[in-house]
Amino acid sequence: MNQSLFEVIALEGELDIERREELARALTVTTAGPAILVDFSRVRYADSTALAQLLKFRTNAERLGRPIAIVVGEPQFERVVQYAGLTDVFAIFHDRGEALSYLAKQT
Amino acid sequence: MITRAVLQVVSRADMQAPRPLRHVLTSLLEALGVADPLRGDIVLAVGEALSNAVEHAYASSEGGTVELSATTNDGNTLVVEVADRGTFIERDKNPGRGFGLRIVRNIARDVVIKNDNGTRVRMTFDLGAT
Repeated sequence: MNQSLFEVIALEGELDIERREELARALTVTTAGPAILVDFSRVRYADSTALAQLLKFRTNAERLGRPIAIVVGEPQFERVVQYAGLTDVFAIFHDRGEALSYLAKQT
Repeated sequence: MITRAVLQVVSRADMQAPRPLRHVLTSLLEALGVADPLRGDIVLAVGEALSNAVEHAYASSEGGTVELSATTNDGNTLVVEVADRGTFIERDKNPGRGFGLRIVRNIARDVVIKNDNGTRVRMTFDLGAT
């Protein structure tokens, strides 16, 4: 599999309201292009601020025909998604290879 | 492990406030012997209340404070309050931001929001599930 077929956006640390502007800049998609892997494997904490930015990002990417997969390390982000009632909205994986395989099937 | 604890912290209500306040709460929960995933869930719920407080409470004024308090008398139930002098906003024009309160309600056993010369969000958590 050629990983250059994918764009990778990697974030780390604690993603909360303090980093909202940084998140908005990182999670920006304005043009057509390859599928996108959002790497949260080094994110220790994320809340509804991150969720809101991801939702907006997903909507824009979908409109441009760019599928998204999210890789997580700790289960915390999955629990945020679950509590927000968005389990079916995001494609979340624990393994980068699985995420890339998923994206390959989407394109 | 301890079973009785009281925490009270007052911070300037700015965008940098929630993170250190979450860390203080995490330390308390560790001292109480509360393990993940419950510990992380409680920190998440309280973090959402803190974010809401600093984001909206003082949108139309300069500065202000946010207060975090937590109490347990028996180690089985933790009551956490997030208080400010502003106005709590349950819904937001920004799609997605409104998930905060939904997350709080899905984690806490009980949530009471009082608007009286500010906003006080009182969340009750069961610790027995650890």
